[in-house]
Amino acid sequence: MALKSIKTGDDSGHSVIDIGDGPAIPVKSDRGLFTAWRIAFFGAITCLIYLAVFKPYPYLDILKFIPDGILITFEVTVQSILLSLVIGLIVGLGRISGNRFINGAASLYVEIIRGIPLLVQLFYIYYALANFVNIPDMLSAVIAMSVCYGAYMGEVIRAGIQAIPKGQMEAARSLGMSYSQAMIHVILPQAVKTILPPVGNEFVALLKDSSLVSILAVSDLLRRGREYSSETFMYFETYTVVALVYLVITLFFSKLIGLMEERVNTDG
Amino acid sequence: MAEDSIMVRIKNVSKYYGNLKALDNVSLDVHEGEKLVIIGPSGSGKSTLLRSVNKLEQIDAGSIIVDGYDINDKSTNINKVREEVGMVFQSFNVFPHRTVLDNLILAQRVVRKRKKEEAEKVAMELLKKVGILEKTDVYPSKLSGGQQQRVAIARSLAMQPKLMLFDEPTSALDPEMIGEVLDVMVRLAKEGMTMIVVTHEMGFAREVADRVIFMDEGKILEQGSPEHFFINPEHERTKQFLKQIL
Repeated sequence: MALKSIKTGDDSGHSVIDIGDGPAIPVKSDRGLFTAWRIAFFGAITCLIYLAVFKPYPYLDILKFIPDGILITFEVTVQSILLSLVIGLIVGLGRISGNRFINGAASLYVEIIRGIPLLVQLFYIYYALANFVNIPDMLSAVIAMSVCYGAYMGEVIRAGIQAIPKGQMEAARSLGMSYSQAMIHVILPQAVKTILPPVGNEFVALLKDSSLVSILAVSDLLRRGREYSSETFMYFETYTVVALVYLVITLFFSKLIGLMEERVNTDG
Repeated sequence: MAEDSIMVRIKNVSKYYGNLKALDNVSLDVHEGEKLVIIGPSGSGKSTLLRSVNKLEQIDAGSIIVDGYDINDKSTNINKVREEVGMVFQSFNVFPHRTVLDNLILAQRVVRKRKKEEAEKVAMELLKKVGILEKTDVYPSKLSGGQQQRVAIARSLAMQPKLMLFDEPTSALDPEMIGEVLDVMVRLAKEGMTMIVVTHEMGFAREVADRVIFMDEGKILEQGSPEHFFINPEHERTKQFLKQIL
């Protein structure tokens, strides 16, 4: 999944948020990657158009069948990212808390989540929830994804907060603000800038991982593909389209985040 | 002086960083309206002492009474005490995500619960006073170091504190900007503000200090009027230090 360079434990406070997952964010300074992005993105689109035009059956057919799934994939992704941000904020603040109990609880959560494969977590949370409450499949899937990604998001938010110079908190506290007032009015608004790009990156990672929910009776993009292929037995053709569509979407968002990051950086 | 005019009472304060004794049984009273300048080599504990006064540093022994409150007592709300104690840092620490005006308004609104109009009025008066009136809607990154520090001072003053702490306010500034910040501080002193200033600016000390304290190795080695330090400092260590900075 994500977060290869964020360490737990003994960070010096100068953490660099660098999340090495998903297609690398195409920045202009990296010529090679920039070109690769173009080739991959426009190549994938060209392939899809070519196949749809010259081999309408089955490709156009498949393309008409899966949009419902794309919508569900987006829905799961957006809802999960929002919920995981909420969880991440709580976890991130917990991880820097001076209170030993809160800090311990947040750290434990992160360690446990990071130690279990996402697929196993999805199954576990999904069936655990089903055991106690009756909620829609979609919601269980979103909760499961969010609980998992909340841990990673927590680390992103923690690193973002710790990247703000200590003097900011001291200045705010010296003016008589409480810890939470200082967080809300001074630290978090500044941390957003640092946090935004990695959150975007998590978004892309989550978008891809959302394909896992296809196992949980949620009709996302991948599951729509499975449905189509199990009826038509055209596995190769279907998964070609599914893969290309994922690629186009993922690359599109990577680019968007790259642009966003550039803008944040030039703002100083 | 009478007991009730004591603004800060530091009594037998010690602080350790591991084995290092940053403050070694320091006692000191600061009276209302007094201008106290603390000098000393780096690592002498002068900044630690200053930062202990508004509890940015936690002391290990002794007590500090500020404005009648024992700040290390569990029942004291430190935020209430800090409302009355302004702090100016070496690194300015203005809020970069807010305009100059908003820097001055934020704590007034959040902490003092003032209305927007009232907070703005206070802010504008202070910005005029420190000479940054034309930069109210600018973000701090567009300001020079000297301007940022003047904003930081105005931000503290907007809370109408009873006591101002200055932690090497001019040490991070280019030489040509030191004057503009010191001017503001001199004016503040003349208005009667109680001030504790950690600085190497002996000119400032001579002009406004009622008392100068020389610290070394966590202890107050010598204290007296600025003249005392310029004319006949007692300790060899003090002489050495003054020779270096003058």
